[in-house]
Amino acid sequence: MDLKAIFTNLFRSRKFQLALVAIAFTAILPLFVRSDYIIGQVLTVMVIFAIYASSWNLLAYSGQGSLGHAAFLGIGGFASALLTVKAGLPAIVGLIIGGFVSAGVGLLIGLACVRLKAWFLAMVTFGFAVIVVTIVSQFDFIFGGTVGFPTPTFAPLVIPFFYATLAIAAISIGAIFFIMQSKLGLAFKAIRENELEAKMTGINTAKYRLFAFVISTFFAGLAGGLYAESIGFIHVSIFDPNYSFLPLIMSVIGGLGTMIGPIIGSVIIVSIDSFGPLTYGFLQPLNPLFRGVSNVGPSLKFVGLGLFLILVVIFLPKGIASLLPKVAAFFREDKSKAKNDGKT
Amino acid sequence: MITLSGLAQALLFGLANGCIYILLATGLNLIFGVMKLVNFAHGQLLMVGAFVAYEVTTIAGLSPYVSILVSMGTVALIGIVLEEFAFRKVRGTEKLNEIFISLGLIYVFQNVATLLWEKNYSIQIPSPLAGLSLAVGEATIKYDLLLAVGIVIIILIGLVLLTKKTKVGLAMRATSQKSDASMLMGININRVYVFTFAVGAALAGAAGALYGILFPFNPAIGALPTIKAFAIIILGGLGSIPGAVVGGLLYGVAESATGYLTNGTWADAVAFALLIAVLIIRPTGLFGEKGE
Repeated sequence: MDLKAIFTNLFRSRKFQLALVAIAFTAILPLFVRSDYIIGQVLTVMVIFAIYASSWNLLAYSGQGSLGHAAFLGIGGFASALLTVKAGLPAIVGLIIGGFVSAGVGLLIGLACVRLKAWFLAMVTFGFAVIVVTIVSQFDFIFGGTVGFPTPTFAPLVIPFFYATLAIAAISIGAIFFIMQSKLGLAFKAIRENELEAKMTGINTAKYRLFAFVISTFFAGLAGGLYAESIGFIHVSIFDPNYSFLPLIMSVIGGLGTMIGPIIGSVIIVSIDSFGPLTYGFLQPLNPLFRGVSNVGPSLKFVGLGLFLILVVIFLPKGIASLLPKVAAFFREDKSKAKNDGKT
Repeated sequence: MITLSGLAQALLFGLANGCIYILLATGLNLIFGVMKLVNFAHGQLLMVGAFVAYEVTTIAGLSPYVSILVSMGTVALIGIVLEEFAFRKVRGTEKLNEIFISLGLIYVFQNVATLLWEKNYSIQIPSPLAGLSLAVGEATIKYDLLLAVGIVIIILIGLVLLTKKTKVGLAMRATSQKSDASMLMGININRVYVFTFAVGAALAGAAGALYGILFPFNPAIGALPTIKAFAIIILGGLGSIPGAVVGGLLYGVAESATGYLTNGTWADAVAFALLIAVLIIRPTGLFGEKGE
């Protein structure tokens, strides 16, 4: 197939058209939302976490799970920030090299561990995150200790940074989707469904699992660099286990193994995180019921998040993305009904 | 300053830690062996057990060693609810789903505990034996620690008797080997699963109560011991109780010694590094014969 045919096919595909609409929609949002806080700390973070969650999703697509992805988020973040601040590289170069540093570490971990079963790997990655935290907090003079250090951005905040991030996200998520659809993705899927049978059909499972791990850690590192730039500084808290669990929760709630799933998950979770505090005032009357805390809001938010995750896993195993075709079908039915009514 | 008596004290501290790890790891191992279930929220049951024992001791005025029983019962009930209403729903689906459920449970348990108890940060269950200790050479052993070791031994003997000598135990062992075949032999698998989960949870409850007697605690103590207990059953071999005992003691002592020699900062990192090294060299664990 020549290049021209590939592009015509691409432009005719429904998914590509939908993706273009989604990007266009996100791109015009800042015209309506005129708050720097919402554009910079909500929309931009949503876009960055969409990359991060998509990277985790790709790993799960190959049947592997990581409980320590924050290690790669943090490695990417620190590498890009250090390269920019201490080595004086342009921020955009630092950002990309940060992704490659994260992928390099991912390659080392992957080489040792991709043969392990799903939950062994989950444990090893969790343990690795603990090791990285310990190392980083031991070398304050390089990593800035508990204070951290400010990170220069590759595009001026807020609006230009938002659009640049959106462009990087579109390319990254597009690339991840392209990988999922390619022969590589087919191999990932075969390994996920039945590793033994995949092996029998001649797939070198260890090699392909390693590919998935390295690609995933590259995009996690890229997201880490972007995240550090978006909040303006980086310190060791980026390795917090919460950052390891977030992409998992986003992918599962949105829909594992789909392109749109991690994006939906990111929009929902970042919205809850950013707009949740607005409801704390309404929750004040509950304070006397719980003697453990003076403000029930933050804890109740996490209880709700946990319950939401459990309910989605039990009742909606394919995530919120699996509802979309149903909603579309519902509207189509409505329309055809209306047409029929008009005829009679 | 590193001294011999300091090191001895650190090793005893490791022994205390080891006791907690053994109970936690045995419970996890039982649940994993029979149900093939990976419950990352197991340590949250330990945390709940500690707070239940604390409330029973301080409000009802019971001896902390009686409160262990109350805590075991309460946590077993919680375990039954978890099995029936959460884990059973995803049984037979993808393995990762169990991990997702247990992650959700971690968020729920930890934050409900925060809502209820955060203000008494770092509390400890008042023991009548607190402050009393036995001098052995240059080191001192707390009576509480000696009692805890005794309790762990009693619980483990009870567990071995339960699995080896009773009909329920036979059903559990049969289910762990081949669940389909045992179903055909007339074993009610669902009941075996609920029972197993309840026993595993009760062990975590006992571990929690002992934790509360030996160490100060707060709502966040559950997370790390779970991962360590998993490390222990990987080291000790899946499904083996002696493996969990040896692994638990080794891990507790090694962690404590590293902590003493490096001022505490490297304890967790070294322990996990060892775990990763073992997994790379022997992907099925030190004593394990075949992995899941």
